[in-house]
Amino acid sequence: MNTTHSRRLSRLSAGAIAVLGMAALWNASAADTDMATSVRLSPSQYRLTIADIFGTSVRVDGRFEPETRDQGLLAIGARTGNFTDSGLETYDTIARAVASQVLDEHHRAELLGCKPRADTSSDDECARKFFSRVGTLLYRRPLSDAEVQTRVAMAGAEAERLHDFYAGVRLSLAQMLISPQFLFRFKRMEPDPQRPGQERMNAYDRASAISFFLWGTTPDLELLRAAGSGELHTKQGLERQVNRMIASPRVAAAVHAFFADMLQFTEFDAVSKDPEFFPRYTASVKEQAQEQTLRTIVDHVVTRRGDYRDLFTTPHTYLTKDLAALYSVPLVDVRASGQLQRWLPYTYPADDPRIGILSHASFTTLWSPSGRTSPTIRGKALRQNILCQRVPPPPGNVSFQFVDDTSNPQYKTTRDRLTAHSSSPMCAGCHKVTDPLGLALENFDSAGGFRMSENSAVIDVSGEINGKKFDGPVGLARAIRDDPAVTSCVAQRIFAFETGYMPPRDDPQWVEIQKKFAESRYDVLELMRQVALSDLSYGSSGSKLMTAVND
Amino acid sequence: MSSPHHNGMTAHRRCSTSVVAGAALVVPMLLTGASASAETRGYVISWFATATNNPEFAINCPRAVKDPASRYATTGKRRVDRAFVDGVEVSAYDYPDALETDPDIETVTGPHAYGFDLGGPEANKFTDPETGEKVDNQLWRAVGCTTNFQFTPPAMPYMEGQAWNSGYADAAPAWAIQISGPDLNKDGPVTVTLDRTLDHLLRDALGGIRSEVTYVIDPSPRSHNVLEGEIKNGVLYVKGGSLWLQGSAPFYTQIDLENAHMRIRSTPGGKLVGHWGGYTDWRKWAYMYTSRCGGGFDCIGIYRSVQKLADADPDPVTGKNRLISTTWRMEAVPAYLASPDGTVLASATADGLGGRIHPPPAVASTVAFDTPGSIEESATETAPTTSSQ
Repeated sequence: MNTTHSRRLSRLSAGAIAVLGMAALWNASAADTDMATSVRLSPSQYRLTIADIFGTSVRVDGRFEPETRDQGLLAIGARTGNFTDSGLETYDTIARAVASQVLDEHHRAELLGCKPRADTSSDDECARKFFSRVGTLLYRRPLSDAEVQTRVAMAGAEAERLHDFYAGVRLSLAQMLISPQFLFRFKRMEPDPQRPGQERMNAYDRASAISFFLWGTTPDLELLRAAGSGELHTKQGLERQVNRMIASPRVAAAVHAFFADMLQFTEFDAVSKDPEFFPRYTASVKEQAQEQTLRTIVDHVVTRRGDYRDLFTTPHTYLTKDLAALYSVPLVDVRASGQLQRWLPYTYPADDPRIGILSHASFTTLWSPSGRTSPTIRGKALRQNILCQRVPPPPGNVSFQFVDDTSNPQYKTTRDRLTAHSSSPMCAGCHKVTDPLGLALENFDSAGGFRMSENSAVIDVSGEINGKKFDGPVGLARAIRDDPAVTSCVAQRIFAFETGYMPPRDDPQWVEIQKKFAESRYDVLELMRQVALSDLSYGSSGSKLMTAVND
Repeated sequence: MSSPHHNGMTAHRRCSTSVVAGAALVVPMLLTGASASAETRGYVISWFATATNNPEFAINCPRAVKDPASRYATTGKRRVDRAFVDGVEVSAYDYPDALETDPDIETVTGPHAYGFDLGGPEANKFTDPETGEKVDNQLWRAVGCTTNFQFTPPAMPYMEGQAWNSGYADAAPAWAIQISGPDLNKDGPVTVTLDRTLDHLLRDALGGIRSEVTYVIDPSPRSHNVLEGEIKNGVLYVKGGSLWLQGSAPFYTQIDLENAHMRIRSTPGGKLVGHWGGYTDWRKWAYMYTSRCGGGFDCIGIYRSVQKLADADPDPVTGKNRLISTTWRMEAVPAYLASPDGTVLASATADGLGGRIHPPPAVASTVAFDTPGSIEESATETAPTTSSQ
């Protein structure tokens, strides 16, 4: 083996051994902590955590392991999330890049917190200061002496090998960033001294649960302090911290993340529209469509503390010039040209077809194929995502002959084509559930533009839900708003977003949470507060609690 | 290069200095332009270039067909252009008026060109291929045989297309059109208001100009123009008036028309397609083309040809004409137009002018610009849609 190869191998070996070592540690961690009670950090949570610990100038570049959606939420899928070999490699790459930036010349003075005696050798004292401080933030709990010593020892050995203090700390930090202790948050139980024979979630894991739920990021120092002092195990202490976090503007990030998950915006990765038919649907419109809905929701739920149900009928939204052109409305921005497009508030007239979030391009384009609309897909998305009502998948041998033939002179509109398609008894059952909702949105084409006719035929936008008829998107919006499933669905989803599982349907605590949600006029932040304060959020994930409400 | 002509400014520009001080009071009045009308539709220019007529190349330019190399300044039989000032040789590009020999490039001899009857001499007139009328378009006569203009819509003449697509459309303030009238779905009198905007155009997913975007009108009165027109059989006509729009480098630094004429119709989607014509300052137009010479284009020849064929507004001292008849082709997409205070002045609509939508104009295949090396092969072709050099 030649010298160059052996040097390369030794570098590879260090990295490969570290990665393999981590895999072994993971398996051990899983056995110790019960994989059913560990939740993988989402990409958004990872990014916010790094930004909070190291500052926004430390970039997180790279591709995360794909998330799994379970029962409609990535947050539930994260409960069973693990890593493939290639996923571990990508996280290792991200970790090394983050560690490199933390210890680079631009950042080290501020982030290291100490100056080593010499740049070219180890300095255990400085390394210990760094890892004690940063370790607490990364692992969301104080590190044990042994853990700190492990980090210091690895940093020291590497520093001596490379004659570079910073390289040593860099490697040891990178290892922390691919540790399960960082990438997962756990729900470790301990005996409850207040209730002998019962268990409670340990304080630091409780802090993590609260923080990732209410702020979408790692616990801040105040929350960690409250965990360490035992305050989070008291009703008053818990309430004080939860109220503090709900009152902070940072709660908007969690609301943003929750609704992006609930509305399944990750599916936008696969959305494309035929530019020949929809030239106004540009790449910027695709991104902005999601942000429009999330800004509308945050404004309504966080800023205005509005009734959740009114999201489906609100005339208020935010638009950019691109979106305004898509929606064919004027949006005046008097700033000089050449600057980035701004988000400006926009209010539709009260009975405009574009009221409510179901008319947003984020819904109408996400749930449409690239060249045509699909009331069935839109109706199904509405049932499953907004009302938490399951729609079975189509049979494997279904023919889409009628619905795909958009130029058929006999079936000019989508309604005509669907009527022909669902005349088959095999199809009619599910289409009865989905199509009456989706057909009410047929004024919105596949790219979110408004139309009154299709192939020169006037579009019939009448619909029905639970036997109640309505007309057009405004009628649908009002019908959805008034459907009791809307509020029960969001309550279930928020609970699941926090805990990783659906709430127990008949549990008195859960009934109480929903009652308080209703009494608050469906204030989502109040719902989040109630969930964060409830013992249900910190109970054991034993089988009796893991009930899917919509089975 | 200032023109003495513009010292005798037309009314809307003469008032520009006086409104500066009272801009806050005057601007809203100017921006509305037209008298109160039942409907105002908004558009922004999405395509703008010299109107070409190349299907008849063999008829227009017989000399070029026989001797394609004659159209190149730097190859073929023409001498290198030399210029002298006070006996000292100078750059012909800097002193095109001081050329030793007139390049005498070929000018269009064919009978057809797009344009308008501006009252010029009968001997100079073309026949418009669209209307059959006798029209003035000496600019086309001057440049129509040069390589730069062997392009057919949707392609623009080369330099104009380069400028439009490599920066102008995406960076320069757009030009806006408001059309106002009692009922724009019927024939009748209208007011056409043209302005510059504060925003540049936005592209769509196909690289075209996006419709129904909102633009804010530049409150500067310099580029504010109000013309009277008429919709007849679904076509908008303007016959007379002055027009001045500020542009951007390199094309067009300004749109400057006297005796302005327009002929515009609606096509599917509400897009406007048509022609503008009138007299423009030949020197400013020539400067636009010849100040950035390159690629073998005959800048000197174009300059002298345009100078010679200028056909209006003789200089009182020299007697030489200062304006040349010209026609541009334009397209415009529906747009919302607003004033800086946020008032929406004009709405975007897909409805046709006069209630009519005309089929989109037949488009010949796009002419690609060939390199000089392909001259010999393409010279034998009679199909004028190739860019034979």
